Amino acid sequence: MNSRVPLKLTVNGETFDIEVEPRWLLSDVLRHQLGLVGTHVGCEQGACGACTVLIDGKPERSCLTFAIQVEGQQITTVEGLTRDENLTPLQEAFSEHHALQCGYCTPGMLLTATALLRLEPHPNERQVREALSGNVCRCTGYQFIVDAILAVAGDTKEDAR
Amino acid sequence: MTEQAMRPQFMGARVKRVEDPRLLTGQARYLDDIDLPGMLEVAFVRSPYPAARIMGMDLTAVKSAPGVRAVLTFEDCPILLWQKDSYQVGQPVLAHNEVRYVGEPVVAVVAEDRYQAEDAAELAVVHYEPMEPVLDMVQSIAELPRRVHAHAGNVFYHKEYTTQGFSEAFSQATRHLTATFRTTRQTAVTMEPRGTAAMPDPASGRMTVYASTQSPHRIRGDLAELLGWAENQIRVIVPEVGGGFGMKANTYPEDVVVVWAARHLGKPVKWVSDRTESLLTDVHARDDIHEVEVAYQENGRIVAIRDHLMADGGAYPAYPFSGAVGETSLASRVLPGPYQIPYIETVIDCTYSNKTPLGAYRGVWGPIASFVQEGIVDRVARSLGRDPVEVRRVNMIRPDQFPFRNAAGMIYDAGSYGESMEEALRLVGYKDFRARQSALREQGKYRGIGISVFVEPTAMASSEAGSIGYESVFIRVEPTGKVTAAMGLGPTGQGHETTMAQLIADQVGVNLEDIVILHGDTDSAPFGGGTGGSRSGPIGGGAALVAGREMRQRLVKLAAHQLEAAEEDIELGHGQAWVAGVPDRAMTIRQLAEIAYTHVKRIPPGMPIGLELLARYRPEQSVSFSNGTHIAEVEVDPLTGLVQVLNYVVVNDCGRLINPLIVEGQIHGGVAQGIGSAFLESLRYGDDGQLMTTSLSDYLLPEATDVPRITIKHLVTPSAGEGGIKGMGEGSLIGAPTALVGAVSDALAPFHVMVDRLPVTPDDVIEWITARE
Repeated sequence: MNSRVPLKLTVNGETFDIEVEPRWLLSDVLRHQLGLVGTHVGCEQGACGACTVLIDGKPERSCLTFAIQVEGQQITTVEGLTRDENLTPLQEAFSEHHALQCGYCTPGMLLTATALLRLEPHPNERQVREALSGNVCRCTGYQFIVDAILAVAGDTKEDAR
Repeated sequence: MTEQAMRPQFMGARVKRVEDPRLLTGQARYLDDIDLPGMLEVAFVRSPYPAARIMGMDLTAVKSAPGVRAVLTFEDCPILLWQKDSYQVGQPVLAHNEVRYVGEPVVAVVAEDRYQAEDAAELAVVHYEPMEPVLDMVQSIAELPRRVHAHAGNVFYHKEYTTQGFSEAFSQATRHLTATFRTTRQTAVTMEPRGTAAMPDPASGRMTVYASTQSPHRIRGDLAELLGWAENQIRVIVPEVGGGFGMKANTYPEDVVVVWAARHLGKPVKWVSDRTESLLTDVHARDDIHEVEVAYQENGRIVAIRDHLMADGGAYPAYPFSGAVGETSLASRVLPGPYQIPYIETVIDCTYSNKTPLGAYRGVWGPIASFVQEGIVDRVARSLGRDPVEVRRVNMIRPDQFPFRNAAGMIYDAGSYGESMEEALRLVGYKDFRARQSALREQGKYRGIGISVFVEPTAMASSEAGSIGYESVFIRVEPTGKVTAAMGLGPTGQGHETTMAQLIADQVGVNLEDIVILHGDTDSAPFGGGTGGSRSGPIGGGAALVAGREMRQRLVKLAAHQLEAAEEDIELGHGQAWVAGVPDRAMTIRQLAEIAYTHVKRIPPGMPIGLELLARYRPEQSVSFSNGTHIAEVEVDPLTGLVQVLNYVVVNDCGRLINPLIVEGQIHGGVAQGIGSAFLESLRYGDDGQLMTTSLSDYLLPEATDVPRITIKHLVTPSAGEGGIKGMGEGSLIGAPTALVGAVSDALAPFHVMVDRLPVTPDDVIEWITARE
């Protein structure tokens, strides 16, 4: 079980040829093999959502996923949200609304919210809270996170008109 | 010259945080993100028993497992926390002959990576002879079923206090009631688990310790003392910290083992807690029992309170302060809260048990004390058939009574106690509430309102964070006019890089983006207490103001000399110095800095070269009280026992605000944690002493769907200290649980329910309702 196997992992549009032990978690491989430490590990029990990444656009727990399970799939981490130095409108809104304090849950929150807004560009507050209910934040009490997401959704709406 | 400070541009503004971009893009670096060449990782073999003798160990298989570099026991690393004999008991950093709680570290396995370390740790064979665990606080006081430590009594802290004249006042009152209040064990659950890394530097012989802590200088001092090293041989660097909430204010056994291993193996070594380890071994908190007797009058005036305060300190006193002592001693002194209750008598007993050591969690003492304080008022009101608001008004300290000396001798500086309550009642619509409540009851809907008027002692001369009553700021205007300031604070998400920069920017007259705040490195920061006890704003912020002002005076003096003007005519702002009313006669701060460092002949006589200084600030008052009122409206479902929070109002007074956005974030977070404390969070031990809540599926945290939208209003009663700032990090978790469970009591008044415990679970609600039917 400890012998390594080759793996092609596609993360943030880039494909990496690496060797992993089959038991290695996706979260550990992202963090320790690829150096993408923006993905945070909060519980390794699938309960807190800090390790959320997008797998083919869907928010998933990278701590409950083995790296070898996702060969050939598109993985997006927080590092993949911004292509240049600027923040995305969602990240900008998080800062504007003080939607983060210690920042540890923030990458997971951003990815969950990104997936929500793709699926439902104009969610109401209840939908936002439902979508976030698998991501624990211990600092903010969620209100400013909800406000940030609603603000971005509102902006999108105005843009669309 | 004080004109600028009187019209601050940045203090009080809703400024976006300078910390945010790195946190939002995944570029921040937390403890587990530190990866050094050749770094080894540790896994701990932990006690599976709450109480057992260690009869022997077989570690042969562990030592020969792949990747293992060292296997350590107490014999290798014979260090006791609390080597000083304050409590007669000090936890060995690895268990010595006996284990005293489930999760206690017994063996440390150091391997090339964490997977290998954990694989090897599983091969450890430790022979235990289990003993009967001590699990009940009241039994423990009576030394039953046995002593936790053979050589020390179970009660490790006992204290009594009586206001003079208590007995007469108590017996002369016309009415009396008794009640018992309990909190279960809870814990901070920072999203980032605890962790420590250490890197020996063979060249200098020094050790760099990366610590996820709230108190960089304190942990440096602790490690130096415990390891017997000179403190200047240790450099503590605190990376980004993913939450602290008091839990990261301690020095833990694992910290010492990691640093010891790095020294003896000559390699970088890291340990990061997994979530199960966190729930087992992060300091637990709360776990109080208060047995209360109250004397009061027909008019609702509360005359006297007698309280036997107990807290279960766990197996060892946490280092370097026991949470049980903090939990009880401060509670005994602030028990009357915002009410003018003239007599108090308290007895404190802190006990050992075979549970995890008790430490700090945000609001230490506060949730239980405020629960007792408001619980008493609600009980008095109900027994007299009066509105709970009326009884609060009757007992509330009036504005003309400040500074107010409470029955335990604590001095409250001015606050807005009554005003905060009246404002919160208005915001929640209390006037119509009782009518609404009765109408809904007719339809079988049980709504209730809970009122929690809290006081929050902040900026205390002595607190868990360092026990020093001052903070220090080293400030430097760089040769290019940029400003760097270093502080001994230990932020864990509070945004000090922003708030401290706001304070300094106003004083020095530069823009926010020109300032860098350094913290969390004992090589660059002046000695400081760190973050805890709601001290960073008032004491750290005070120090920032003092340092900024002193730097401002230097700049003004320098500018006056260059511009040939009087010092009192010089104004500073936006990176410029100019003569008042003559904006053309101006210089940039950069030009002044060039003179200070380079063209030093132009420095006026008597002024030092350079623009660097160290300032310290120690508030004159030993404490400053914030205050406020929380009101929760809830609906309780009598069939499922579920409680829904429908409306939540906070009126908060923490003196002058540095950044309202950050203050509101702190309040929201505290209320959310209050919802956890009131309804969800409980570390449950089985009768066999096993902790049964070792995952976040068992220890439930509030989620986005559990927390309502919170309405906040600020009142401002400035402190007498620098900037009029009061602390506010804990008040919302002091106030919230009481408001929430008070609302449950109010909702279930038809069933004669008066909540006596935190948290309240659906099972409790159903049991109370069925018992009354």
